[in-house]
Amino acid sequence: MIEENTHIANDVCGCKPADVNLIKSAVEEVVASTGREKDKVIQILQEVQKKLNHIPSEALRLICELTDITPGQISGVSTFYSQFRHLPAGRHIIKVCAGTACHVKGSQLISESFKRALKINDDRLTSPDNLFSLEEVACLGCCTLAPVVQIDGKTYGHVKPTQADEIINDFLRTRQKEIHLQKEAHEDESDAEVRIGLGSCCVAGGSKEILSRLLEIKEGYALNIKIKPVGCVGVCNQTPLLEIVTKENVHYRYTNVREEQVEEILIKHVKPGRIDKKIKFRITEFADTFISDDMVNSPVNIPGELREKYLSNFLSRQVRLATDGGGILSPESIDEYMLFGGFKAIRYCLSMSEPDNIVLTVMKSGLRGRGGAGFLTGRKWEIFSGTRSSEKFIVCNGDEGDPGAFMDRMLLESFPFRVIEGMLIAGFATGAHQGIFYIRAEYPLAVSRVRNALKQCYEKGILGISVLNTLYSFDIRIFEGAGAFVCGEETALIASLEGKRGTPHLRPPYPAVKGFMGKPTLVNNVETLSLVPWIINNGAEAFSAIGTDKSKGTKVFALAGKISKGGLIEVPMGITISDIVEKIGLGVAEGRTFKAVQIGGPSGGCIPAAMADTPVDYEELQKMGAMMGSGGLVVLDDTDCMVDVAKYFLTFTHKQSCGKCTFCRVGTKHMLDILTRLSEGKADKSEIDQLEKLCIDVKNGSLCGLGKSAPNPVITGLLYFRQEYEAHANGYCPAKKCRELIRYEITDNCTGCTRCFQECPVQAISFKPYEKHEIDQQLCTKCDNCRVVCRDNAVEIVNINAKDQNQ
Amino acid sequence: MPKIRINNIIVEATDGSTILDAASKAGIHIPVLCHKDGIEHYSSCMVCMVKNNLKNDFIPSCSAIVQEGMEIDAASDEVIHLRKKAVELLLSEHRAECEAPCRVVCPAGYNIPKMNRLLADGKVREAVELSLSGLDSREIRCATCPGYCENACRRKKIDLSVSIRNIQLFVFQNIGENDLSMLKIGRRDNIEGIRKRFSSRIGHLEESELKEWIKESKNDAPRFREVNDFRTAGTEAESCMHCDCRAAGDCRLRELAQEFSLKDPVGKVVNSHITKKINYKTGLIFENAKCIKCGLCVRVCEDRNDEPALCFINRGFVSIISEPLTDEFSNILTTQTDKVIDICPTGALGHLKD
Repeated sequence: MIEENTHIANDVCGCKPADVNLIKSAVEEVVASTGREKDKVIQILQEVQKKLNHIPSEALRLICELTDITPGQISGVSTFYSQFRHLPAGRHIIKVCAGTACHVKGSQLISESFKRALKINDDRLTSPDNLFSLEEVACLGCCTLAPVVQIDGKTYGHVKPTQADEIINDFLRTRQKEIHLQKEAHEDESDAEVRIGLGSCCVAGGSKEILSRLLEIKEGYALNIKIKPVGCVGVCNQTPLLEIVTKENVHYRYTNVREEQVEEILIKHVKPGRIDKKIKFRITEFADTFISDDMVNSPVNIPGELREKYLSNFLSRQVRLATDGGGILSPESIDEYMLFGGFKAIRYCLSMSEPDNIVLTVMKSGLRGRGGAGFLTGRKWEIFSGTRSSEKFIVCNGDEGDPGAFMDRMLLESFPFRVIEGMLIAGFATGAHQGIFYIRAEYPLAVSRVRNALKQCYEKGILGISVLNTLYSFDIRIFEGAGAFVCGEETALIASLEGKRGTPHLRPPYPAVKGFMGKPTLVNNVETLSLVPWIINNGAEAFSAIGTDKSKGTKVFALAGKISKGGLIEVPMGITISDIVEKIGLGVAEGRTFKAVQIGGPSGGCIPAAMADTPVDYEELQKMGAMMGSGGLVVLDDTDCMVDVAKYFLTFTHKQSCGKCTFCRVGTKHMLDILTRLSEGKADKSEIDQLEKLCIDVKNGSLCGLGKSAPNPVITGLLYFRQEYEAHANGYCPAKKCRELIRYEITDNCTGCTRCFQECPVQAISFKPYEKHEIDQQLCTKCDNCRVVCRDNAVEIVNINAKDQNQ
Repeated sequence: MPKIRINNIIVEATDGSTILDAASKAGIHIPVLCHKDGIEHYSSCMVCMVKNNLKNDFIPSCSAIVQEGMEIDAASDEVIHLRKKAVELLLSEHRAECEAPCRVVCPAGYNIPKMNRLLADGKVREAVELSLSGLDSREIRCATCPGYCENACRRKKIDLSVSIRNIQLFVFQNIGENDLSMLKIGRRDNIEGIRKRFSSRIGHLEESELKEWIKESKNDAPRFREVNDFRTAGTEAESCMHCDCRAAGDCRLRELAQEFSLKDPVGKVVNSHITKKINYKTGLIFENAKCIKCGLCVRVCEDRNDEPALCFINRGFVSIISEPLTDEFSNILTTQTDKVIDICPTGALGHLKD
């Protein structure tokens, strides 16, 4: 079944321990390039792991010998961050996303199915042939494609539990078909510009395949077109997205494009270069086109109006400031950004004699931190600007770790230049000369896009000793996070930058006064910084005209979960939740009812459908017990269990707690225990009260924001859905989600097609063609396979315990 | 010099000092666990919680810096509740016992496990002195005692209980007349003190179990093994399992549990297996189940390449103090053992022979 044809070098695959000489040369090489300072420990470990597949203890020892890093430091750091492996892993890493959107769509079942398919049963989570290792990751940020699985770099969306084998085989077959896009000359006379989205979601949707097909066709027909990869449009549920702009500047958009449709779409809008080319190409491709029935279903045959109606619905209610230029701008070209008006704001700032006025403008605009807490950005800048120090740092916080949120990833991937400009303005306004991008390691595309953007900025003289030929100098470097959610908290982020365990400390001292290396450090979220150029260009008044009394401007949300049309949206503050869900996202799937919105990720709360007229506003959301958070918006329907959702978030925060303070470390464990017992029907009603009290204590007693907000999902759950918690105490799960409280049954609808028998991994269903099948409850693992494959809706989930008497 | 109010008392604090400093200057008691003067603060235990009335939030006083005009509440029920909860949560993680069952049931309160350790180590004279200090009358009670200690001995569950009474009697025989003359007869309050202390102990030994043992113990309880000389006493003492905590009399966690009159919580959480790490070169012993992750031992030592110190490993609930991954437990802290044992607020770090 699974075959690996390529030769595997023994030294990296993890089949046997790497030998000492190899470790030595790898470590020496890494240290030579990174440096010997204590704060380089995370980079060194990352590089060593890249070379050796994992970090053997010999390597740790060697690093200590060769650098200033001490044994205690390296042990603490290498075990703190989840990126680092101390045991060898398989050659390929399968990452099963356990983000919120994926969770509500059954990621746990997916992970189990991969374990089964690969016969994984050891602690290393590695297949016996050492080819694959399984990892559950907090969030891959492809929430609209949930559930998502990523193997090495390749992402698979909308995965079903029955598809594990299929995906593994597909991966091995198509592995690493790298496309190298040639740098094209900017020819004005091209017949059309073809734009293809290459954000992570689009790539997961198959846009790389589309791109290679585009190149093939362009070559084959000798088309005079310019193929341009662009950033995210936000319509992640409709990927891949193709847009053709003709010479006459007419736009044609195609959604959900498939590989085999590309040719037809192109030919409709662009004339082939030479007729002989066309004939030749056509003949070789003839067979394929002839066999396929796609002509009928082709998007080309759908009237353009209808095709674009949905798109415009999705886009028209949005106000795009941070995401301005989505789907038009190429994230890889500084020239385009400049043509689009990029770096105008920084030019204007540089010409100002009083940089303090910039701080004043930002203050007046009413911009608040988009990372979650909503501190007034201008105020933060003012404090930072007032500090006197030889060195001052601007840190862009791109450690977006909320499961169910991917705004920062998208902004970094699609608009890296805008974030850089925001940082530059912040730096100039406050007198700082150094910037650091802190980007989480789970976002490789964002890292490479930003790296590329920085390179271009240096080449153009936008960064460096003389920014745009002025006396002002500014340098930016990238720091890759190593997998710790708590590092989104600014003091923990700084500890991590300094090469320490990412544990937060009490503020004050605020980082703006005493931060990185003890120097003043301004930590701003990605989205906050990307709004800054717009404010400078359009003025504080224009910005504060958008939004509510206390929350100004726009907010980017990742709309996902049980929603018809999810994606990345930027909406004006003050828009109601129901507008977002019903009008932009077009509600939940047919036949389901909209139950609640989980806003703000693990720190946020659930807002019930009945209160969906709540406007998006820092204070309003807080009043509801939720939080803006970083902006994850996961829609839940009637099949979602609130206890399960709370348990999911608690599992996450508990796992991501740094372990420093008692309340967060031990308190969340007790909360999780009670929730687990509830979901298993083992807890009684008194434990619900106990849970409620514990929530308050953990909220009051924790040291940092992570612990203080960890109880929010439970508190709001208890506030709005208490009856559901009580039902669980009676052993009944109204949403039929909690595994211990349900069982699978086959109804009379069964036609005896034997599909369920074929897919059952544990032989709980016996082979009875043309008869009603039955599930052996003793053997059933509730993997959901039978329900997924059944074509007759004959598999039903029923509650083990009858509804309690009161209901 | 910022002026702040703590419990409505105006305190003038030094610039940059913590609320804890300011409070102690004003004579206001705030309990601490993870904090030690002179060592960089860390704020992990949250036992020193106070309330910032102006912002309506709770902050650990050991690292909160005073700011002009602060109004701090360090005594209200809310604050006490939170401190108490912090200790309770720490206790729920703490899977160990303060006292050994034998010592708990001993009517005379003799320190049996310690005596056994001394004997097993060949420290005869120290064992004699220890017994002497536990003696409250000329009467040696072990001679007539039904042997509550042996009935409670955990070793019984494995094979036979340690012949505690015989060991104790033998040791008493070695108390000289001179020693006895120094003895203050009739210190009845001594026993009362011990009793009081035991009632505050942490551990899973329940009152009912204890009563059961006492009821079971009969006057004619068999004495299993003879103890005739120091050699046999040593051998017998070696079978002692040392159920007690080395820091039974010197534990901040226990003191705080007493201060808040907390019993051992019923629902314990398990973060790892109970293990003991022993460094035979220096005598350092680390018992993970007693550790409260305050990090004092990490902060007090300098982490150097030539003398690896203790460090935190892992993250969150499963984080724990450990030797660095690059070293063995027997290679660490060659010169700083006493320092870490001294600073450990619980019995997690101790000396093997204590």
